[in-house]
Amino acid sequence: MTTVEAPQRPPFWRDVRVLSWAFQLVVFALVAFFIYWLVGNYQTNAERVGISTNFDFLDQPASFEIPGSEFSQTQPVRDAYVEGILNTIRISVVGIVLATVLGTLIGIGRLSRNWVVSRLATVYVEVVRNLPLLVIMVFTFLGLVLQVLPTIQEAWTPGGIMVFSNRGIAVPWYEGNSGTVLFLLFLVGAVGWWALARWRQGVAARTGAPSRAGLIGGGFFVAVMVIGWFALGFSVTTPVVEGRLSVGGIRLDPSYFAVLVALVVYTASHIAEIVRGSIQAVPKGQGEAASALALSGFQRMWFIVLPQAMRIAIPPLGNQYLNLIKNSSLGAGFAYFELTQVTQITVGNGSPAIPAFTLALAFYVVLSLITSAAVNIANRRFALVQR
Amino acid sequence: MKRWIALLAVFVLVLAACTGDDDTAGDDGGATTTAGGGTETTAATETTAPGDGGESTTTVAQVADESLIETVTANGVLKCGTRDALPGFAVLDESGEHVGFDSDFCRVIAAAVLGDAEAVEHIDLETADRFTALQSGQIDVLVRNTTWTASRDGGEGATFMQPNFYDGQGMMVSADSGFASVSDMDGVIVCVAKGTTTEGNAAAEATRLGLNWEVRAFDDPNLIQEAFLAGQCDGWSSDVSQLVAVRSVYPDGPDALTILPEVFSKEPLAPAVRDGDTAWAQAVNWAILATIQAEEFGITSANVDDVLASSEDINILRFLGAEFETDSGTTVLDPGLGLPTDFAYQIVKQVGNYGEIFERHLAPLGLERGVNALWFDGGLLYAPPYR
Amino acid sequence: MTTRTAPAPALVWVRRHLFRSFWDGLMTVVFGGLGLYILFRLARFVFVTARWEIISTNLKLLMVGRWPDIHLPRISVTLVVLAALGGLVAGLIHARQVRAGTSAVEGMPLPARASDLGRRFGLLIGAVLLLLALTTTVGTWLTAAGFVVAGVVGRLAGARIGRDRLSRPVIILLTLVFIGVPAGMYLYLVDAVPLADWEGFFFNVSAAAAGIVLSFPLGVLLALGRRSRLPLLKTVSTVYIEVVRGAPLYVLLLLANVSLEFFVPASFSPSKPIRAIVTFTLFTAAYLAEIVRGGLQSVPRGQEEAAKALGLSPVKQMGLIILPQALRNVIPAQIGQFIALFKDTTLAGLGLGILELLGAAEAITQQPDFRGQGLIIESLAFVAFMFWVGSFTMSRESQRLERKLGVGTR
Repeated sequence: MTTVEAPQRPPFWRDVRVLSWAFQLVVFALVAFFIYWLVGNYQTNAERVGISTNFDFLDQPASFEIPGSEFSQTQPVRDAYVEGILNTIRISVVGIVLATVLGTLIGIGRLSRNWVVSRLATVYVEVVRNLPLLVIMVFTFLGLVLQVLPTIQEAWTPGGIMVFSNRGIAVPWYEGNSGTVLFLLFLVGAVGWWALARWRQGVAARTGAPSRAGLIGGGFFVAVMVIGWFALGFSVTTPVVEGRLSVGGIRLDPSYFAVLVALVVYTASHIAEIVRGSIQAVPKGQGEAASALALSGFQRMWFIVLPQAMRIAIPPLGNQYLNLIKNSSLGAGFAYFELTQVTQITVGNGSPAIPAFTLALAFYVVLSLITSAAVNIANRRFALVQR
Repeated sequence: MKRWIALLAVFVLVLAACTGDDDTAGDDGGATTTAGGGTETTAATETTAPGDGGESTTTVAQVADESLIETVTANGVLKCGTRDALPGFAVLDESGEHVGFDSDFCRVIAAAVLGDAEAVEHIDLETADRFTALQSGQIDVLVRNTTWTASRDGGEGATFMQPNFYDGQGMMVSADSGFASVSDMDGVIVCVAKGTTTEGNAAAEATRLGLNWEVRAFDDPNLIQEAFLAGQCDGWSSDVSQLVAVRSVYPDGPDALTILPEVFSKEPLAPAVRDGDTAWAQAVNWAILATIQAEEFGITSANVDDVLASSEDINILRFLGAEFETDSGTTVLDPGLGLPTDFAYQIVKQVGNYGEIFERHLAPLGLERGVNALWFDGGLLYAPPYR
Repeated sequence: MTTRTAPAPALVWVRRHLFRSFWDGLMTVVFGGLGLYILFRLARFVFVTARWEIISTNLKLLMVGRWPDIHLPRISVTLVVLAALGGLVAGLIHARQVRAGTSAVEGMPLPARASDLGRRFGLLIGAVLLLLALTTTVGTWLTAAGFVVAGVVGRLAGARIGRDRLSRPVIILLTLVFIGVPAGMYLYLVDAVPLADWEGFFFNVSAAAAGIVLSFPLGVLLALGRRSRLPLLKTVSTVYIEVVRGAPLYVLLLLANVSLEFFVPASFSPSKPIRAIVTFTLFTAAYLAEIVRGGLQSVPRGQEEAAKALGLSPVKQMGLIILPQALRNVIPAQIGQFIALFKDTTLAGLGLGILELLGAAEAITQQPDFRGQGLIIESLAFVAFMFWVGSFTMSRESQRLERKLGVGTR
């Protein structure tokens, strides 16, 4: 195949290149025709029954409100979508972090020498993994939010700075300036920390002087944050109970809490299996070598085994992250205003169903593609370069 | 523009390829060429205007050239869009039969058109798809606790009938909450069921009264009740009929709940048919009106045979499709609705009059007739004369 | 240490597995306490506080929805036939293993075999017995008995048929049986009750099975397309796979619910189960494609090169050499996908309003006798139990298969 010199071109009906392009064009034409047919049907039918197929509804007033945000009913539907997407991202990011932590712990727990721990971890994985997520969500809502958290009248206020009740968990938060400014401040501090740390590590490598990277970088970060905080007029608000709601600070929606816990619990059961498999795939010699170096159990796991296991685990973990993002759409049933809930409510209030749901779907696809791109980059960065 | 968006919709739904929009020639031309996909839709391409312009109602009725009244008669079964879990209006008994006020109105229509109250196929619909089901011909009539509003009449391709129940949105609170009026409720959480006008009404009312409400929307009424029991919600807002239904079986007893006196929206719940089929709309409308007329006459399922045998009242005889004397001999009134002349008799005999249906399904919930009484009892129900 | 009298073995085990160090002991106490507490609460709920009348009253609605009583025997017949078919497969696989000398159970004494079967299917059998105990009709017991008998007969027949190497006509015959009989059973059921009226747990199982079977050809084609060297084909497949995998099934179902009838000619309005199955199929195909692609990659390159060296055409290379090995390698992953789909069929209730198990479980809480009593917990516990038993049994069998196929241990 590699070195054959074609003495003469075969007739075009036997030329592989021509044939393959012809085949492709036929497939493509079929697909295109199919889409064309569907679109045609859609338009004919939509006109027949007189339903709207355009996206003008995005500019109409929403006529519903979103708790926990500034969004008001007179704003256009467009803004409601933005709010919904932000809420989806909010729950996905936090969920991914927590699920990874919990899943890793349980995955390690399954391999524990402690019989109780390994048994419990196994039971956890086998029970949770095999239940429909929707059912888990109902249970976390009914069992956790409504049973465990107290009513607002009997709210827990640990230290007077937080308010735990079944109307939400309120924690201290900043005020006085915008979140974007705070984020920029944080970014400046973090980038400075990173640059300083690199510089100090370079110096340490060249001269052998102690690097003190953490001290200098961290100090810079803290200094930036503290000075910026006061210079830009930030202050802290702490929540207090006022009547039937908590005021001040920031309040996490109880539905957010229920949906988040369900997502984390469910995804962690899958992540635990991935982590367990990956740890088992790390050559045994690695752990034994670590033991031989007199590393403690924790050190062996944290510095030797887990980093190598995580390398194997990245692609399947990425799949679980995608699943978590998509599964957050089930939060719609539990009064959490993420993208799907916003879409359903706006359809209930008169937006045309097909464009509204299509838009939501497109956002999910974009979100997933971004996530999987990030996972691919991470995978390429950490993959073991072989041979 | 419209084409392009429609294409986008299909793209995401069918998910096949990224190009293929080679038909940007023009809206009308595109529609004409693509209609070849369906056999019956070719007629629709002759009229390109969406069917909302004044009297050009011809565009909408092209699925079938005949009225639904003929289709339903030919099929021998009425496809009635309904739901499966709304106490009093439509729930499933343990054998899966639909039981309730709305379900009986499906039977009323079947009895009128087909002479058999059981010739109904109850099709459960979600809030989001009830109008598309009507538009697409999946159902013949929608009897699903649906509020008659102008934009639904205009925008959803639906025509509403005589309301079979006049409802209104109200607010229910715990009896020990101290709220005596909706305007007392400031800084509270109000829980509602998702998907209809309920959230919008609650938000509008809060704005009107200058109150701060957090409106939380749930899919499942079970979740609202549990949230309410756990003290997560201060108010439960829904149609008063539903609030009464919930209150009557509340676990802590009906007296633990108070329904506040204000009713802050009008919710005329009316059956709906597809736009543009006047003959079918009139038939359905008169089937509903016949239940009211029967109650006005005092005819019930128990006495209808006696009335038919003994009554001398020409109005009653006309109504029941019995023979009556005229100058030119005996005759039977056929008003030309396309219904059998004895349709009212069949309705009353097989299902009952309005009062009976109400007593059967809504009175057990603790609902009183109120505005749903006959006009001479101070209610709103009034049947035009049948002659 | 060695001079001390050896402690009782149980004590050694306890020390080694529970109290190796202080932290170990602490974890044992904390987690052990937690586990016992959860167990206690669960047991108290199941045996003391729960009110199960709502389930026993509505059992038929939950399991088969509104399937007409006179046609129930058709489900029984189908179950019995499928049991025979399942037994036949098990028997054939067993015979093959015996021939290859890899059978784990051959030569095992009968009690040991029984206990092996008990470990594998005990949970499932227990669940079925529980359901039987709740029913009031003889028919269900007869069905269960028929199911067992048919399964055993099928197993024995399979073992007998497979004792010798299968001849070509036998293979063709068996293939026809495995395709024809399920198709025939489907027609037999649809003849009595149209697909539009399939409900309850029966819907969950059938929809998951239909989804996985129907998505298989599309999934394989997409996987081949994605690996193809033809750029156009590759693009189409890749876009499809990535877009579908980025979309939540729930939103796809919601969209299918409101839109599917607009994309087909007006004369055809698909029923809800068809919408669900179409969505499941299109959705699962993208995932299956990725699984199959993984399988294709796991086939060593030498196989393809050897096939080429034999002068096989590209189609034959793929169809006879590579694809069979690839598909064999991905059977466990396919079972995993089936389990996921099985659980996801619950979304059809929420998204499409089909009266599947979860939808029925929520609907029955609104019945006049049961509404307003917080019975949603009992109702959902039943749903959770049904799905858990099914998924757990399947995932265990899949792990067993994985070990047998030696996937991942090479």
